[in-house]
Amino acid sequence: MVQFLVDLLLRAGDIALVAVALSAGYSLVKFPNIAIVQYATIGPFLAYLIARSGIPFALAVAAACLFVGVLAVALNLLVFERLLKSGSAIAMIGSLAVGMLFTATLLVTAGPDTRHFDFAITALFDVFGSNVTLTQMISLAMSLTAFILLALLLFCTDIGRCMRATAANPNLARATGIDARLVVRVIIFLSGMLAALGGTGIAIKSELNILLGPDLMLPVFAAAILGGLGNPIGAIFGALVISFAETLAAAINFGPLVGQSFLFIPVNYIAAASFLILVVALLFRPYGLFVNEVKRV
Amino acid sequence: MFEFSLHVATIAALYGLLALSLNLQTGFAGLVNFGQIALFGCGTYGAALAFNNQFGPVVGLLLGLVLVSLVALFFARLGRSLGSDYWGIATLAIGQILLTIATNETWLTGGAQGISGLPQLFTGSTRLQGHLILFSVTLALLAATWWLFHRLTQSKFGLSLRLMREEPQFAASLGYDLDGLRRSAMLVAAVPAALSGFLFAHYMTFVGPDQLFSTETFVVWTMVVIGGLGSHAGVVVGAILTQMLFAAVPFAKDFFALPSEYVAAMRLTLIGGGLLGFLLLRPQGLIPEKVGSIRG
Repeated sequence: MVQFLVDLLLRAGDIALVAVALSAGYSLVKFPNIAIVQYATIGPFLAYLIARSGIPFALAVAAACLFVGVLAVALNLLVFERLLKSGSAIAMIGSLAVGMLFTATLLVTAGPDTRHFDFAITALFDVFGSNVTLTQMISLAMSLTAFILLALLLFCTDIGRCMRATAANPNLARATGIDARLVVRVIIFLSGMLAALGGTGIAIKSELNILLGPDLMLPVFAAAILGGLGNPIGAIFGALVISFAETLAAAINFGPLVGQSFLFIPVNYIAAASFLILVVALLFRPYGLFVNEVKRV
Repeated sequence: MFEFSLHVATIAALYGLLALSLNLQTGFAGLVNFGQIALFGCGTYGAALAFNNQFGPVVGLLLGLVLVSLVALFFARLGRSLGSDYWGIATLAIGQILLTIATNETWLTGGAQGISGLPQLFTGSTRLQGHLILFSVTLALLAATWWLFHRLTQSKFGLSLRLMREEPQFAASLGYDLDGLRRSAMLVAAVPAALSGFLFAHYMTFVGPDQLFSTETFVVWTMVVIGGLGSHAGVVVGAILTQMLFAAVPFAKDFFALPSEYVAAMRLTLIGGGLLGFLLLRPQGLIPEKVGSIRG
């Protein structure tokens, strides 16, 4: 049971940061940005590169996140805001094209090989009887810290109030003197940073290669849509739902139901669980589990 | 060299069919389909499953058409309550689910190895002659689809599709049945995509899940955007241009003596760069849609 909870939290931590990044970006720039999963790939690659030159891991990650944040703002200004004038679907196709260019760049510079962050191998931690590795702890701590900081920023600071106001009603926000362009830049910068951090969290636990982003795409979209696109806190719940379904699908023994001793869902189909949830969610709750038309500031 | 050119031309014509199909959905009906390759896959797997169970190509063709109608109807059903961007994500997810099934149900689809040994549809006195006949048939099919889609989009049906694309609420208020329009548009567009898959399967003599990666959908998207959304001539030109560029990639690699992962990177750069460049600098494409050209 504890192992189940640990697996669930670890998987949710993987998806949630990038899903929050996607949702936060959508709250102000209204299109689903597919390139966000590529930010999550570039972040750990940069962190890996910087850490290789002898800079401590934490500093390397911070630098990589900052860089990806700036990159996200630049792309938003140069590409996405211009494309968005022709509609959200066009902007989404544009973000897909940007993603392909990132993959091409990574293929040429880093190559298709798999890499690992060097962490000293330590004894496993014993958390109420289930085993957790050091990198898993670090990754979970990174996600939690990021969520707490984001929630504090959104709900306890002036700029956070401006962000929520602009997301709820851009025209009214502008009329009350909020600098909407600045708010958009801040939130896009944050979403780039969060995506890069999320990607790094995944890469330190397992491995780093150029498929990290593409593999993340549908679970992340499923989580963000379940939480209601544009609602960053909802995305965390979406990620919990998705990882609950995935972990449950992997852990349940269906054997007794059909009179055999063991019958597990093949592991390849577990990834498809989140795609299926996505389709079902879109069929029945296209605007998320918690739809609230009136957002309070 | 002639055989190579014929191969490129055949593939370009098969992709031209896919591009015409996507263009009818996206360019006219405003349905942003990111699962286009699933429609193609219905055609390829229809052919492969029939072959695997000792049926002839006619059964394969029919099976492909049945599969594609089911998928197209499901896509249309999903479109009922979704905005175009959400629908795009949904179609992408369905494409991935079908890909997962094709990869894992080894007893049915041969799994990752796929199904190989499909017969050539046309056997002339030489292999080359067979390929020439296949190319002519594909070309004729492309021309027929083009003509049919041209007539269709010039008719009242085409006008109502464009109205649904531009002003869905206005169209609904005038009494247009949007669900029905969406269904017919998807069904009509799905047929050439499945036919293209069917011909492709028998031409390559092999069907596998790696032909159905979502990147292939984006290749078709690039063709349509480069050619011009809503222009039949444009998307066929886009398909030919893109395939010619793809065919040149291995030569460029040899010429500059680049390692082989550059081929994948160059293909991605061509698709991504082409898409982005045209979206930003010439969103109407090479041959723009003619507005106000309908008298139907």
